[in-house]
Amino acid sequence: MGYLNTILVLGGIQVIAALGLAILTGYTGLFSMGHSVYMALGGYAAAVLYMELGVPFILALILGALFAGLCSMIIGYPTFRSQLRGDYFAIATLGFAEAVRLVLNNTYKIINGAIGYLGIPKLTSPWLVLIAMLLAFVLAHSFTKSQWGRNCLAVKQDATAAQMMGVNVLKTQMTALFVSAVYCGLAGGLLAFYMAYLTPAMFTVTKSSDLLAAVVFGGMQSLVGPAIAGFVLIALPEILRPLESWRLIMYGSLFVIIMVFRPQGLLGYYELELGRYLAPIRAAYARLGIRRKAKVDAA
Amino acid sequence: MTLFFQQLVSGISIGSVYALLAVGYALVYSVYNFTNWAFDAFMVVGAFAGFYTISLAHLPFWLATLVAIIATVLFSVAVERIAYRPLRNRNAPRLFMMISAMGANIALINIMNKAFGGAFRSFPEVTTGSFQLGGVAIGKMDLLAAVLSFAALVGLYLFLYRTKAGLGIRASAIDMTTASLMGIDNDKVAFLIFGVTGGLSAISGVFYGIKYAVYPYLGSMVTIKAMIASIIGGLGSLEGAVVASLMLGIIETMISGYASSIYRDLFSFSLLIIILLFLPNGLFGKKNADKL
Repeated sequence: MGYLNTILVLGGIQVIAALGLAILTGYTGLFSMGHSVYMALGGYAAAVLYMELGVPFILALILGALFAGLCSMIIGYPTFRSQLRGDYFAIATLGFAEAVRLVLNNTYKIINGAIGYLGIPKLTSPWLVLIAMLLAFVLAHSFTKSQWGRNCLAVKQDATAAQMMGVNVLKTQMTALFVSAVYCGLAGGLLAFYMAYLTPAMFTVTKSSDLLAAVVFGGMQSLVGPAIAGFVLIALPEILRPLESWRLIMYGSLFVIIMVFRPQGLLGYYELELGRYLAPIRAAYARLGIRRKAKVDAA
Repeated sequence: MTLFFQQLVSGISIGSVYALLAVGYALVYSVYNFTNWAFDAFMVVGAFAGFYTISLAHLPFWLATLVAIIATVLFSVAVERIAYRPLRNRNAPRLFMMISAMGANIALINIMNKAFGGAFRSFPEVTTGSFQLGGVAIGKMDLLAAVLSFAALVGLYLFLYRTKAGLGIRASAIDMTTASLMGIDNDKVAFLIFGVTGGLSAISGVFYGIKYAVYPYLGSMVTIKAMIASIIGGLGSLEGAVVASLMLGIIETMISGYASSIYRDLFSFSLLIIILLFLPNGLFGKKNADKL
């Protein structure tokens, strides 16, 4: 049971982070190679707030997530402001992630550098992760359906055209980055209070490519896809232990194969929506109504 | 003062390795408008090919470098065929190109990790020793790296500006569609660009492997630095890439000499952010119209 719990919790945490990256990469078209850094920032911030300053657990999680969001602005603003957004941003995120990891690795005050920040109480319960995951999903879904989400899509498809239609490109990209960083920060916080320790080695480039893999496999411009893919990609290696060393080879090859043959990802542009399945029922009901009305009219 | 000159020598040597890679980024970027993330893997292919030719076949250094170049060119051209060309042909968004490149990089590096193991191997000594110049010890390997890199860069310059194929590449950099209407074969241009940049990254891989060690993740930090250099120089600008690489190499070794090597990497990343804030087009940033 404990083993299953661990998979569920780690999977749920990954889902939250993958949802964040889906908003940034899938919906806004920005390629981030270093999103694990926001998990690190959120995790460390939440742990320090709780352990050193006595901030209540849930509040520490939220503040940690917001801290990660604020930190994302440091690279978001200079990179989005420059014209060649995509590549600059990807490199800057990678660089920022490495730089933060270097700082964490060499800060021995309080967080113990590379040795790791130990003694964090295990407060994250499976139920908390489940609630956070559902909440994250609902919020992400309404974000993508809101005007902000539409702006994100417009910027992804054609930034210049979007700007001409009155979309503030810089602001939209900053918003998407902020939201995605907050998501990853929350995931990091939950992870910190589940693992009961933190080391910078938990948030390497490999972690970032795991997140990216969830978005690419699950489908650009989908939330359900990345969420499922994020969960599966965490659960699968646990089940298929012998294949662990092949994991990154498969990820890399699948990136290429998917981009060449099915760039929209597994779920593509389709969102698993309740509405879609209710629509035929509603239509049938409507027809029924018309028939009844016709009967009434005839009578 | 001796320390200063000592660091300067090693800075020029590391800067010339950055330059080989940064020029590759700039060349690919100027034509295809995307960053070829797979240089990391190409560099490692070059380093491994060179390493095994010397340590197993006991061939001389120049032959090993040649083998490394040939192996890397093959890989580079193959990756272009498999991972980039289908996307390019259907005008896929740049995001897809980047993901595909990243995937090729992750796959190749981890295949090499699986095949050769993650151990650190030191290159058999090629040329050892150093000579003194006014109290400064100049390693023969450092000198060789700098000289060969500059020879390669001069070769690239001559190729781009003095040959017909180079003219074709420059035309494609300005406008690929128009260039192809003028009878320039896009696939041939791709072959040349990925061949040439693959060869350059092989040389950088061999030298970096000699300077430090040969292992599957040898390229991850250097290629980021080279990317930073090509951004600082202005993405797509060749001379900018060379100047910025040398600058970055020298400043970095100065910092690790006078302060600490932890600050070295922090400095590079902060410099990137500062440059993006104040000079978003880089030092030699050009408009799209006069690239290359």
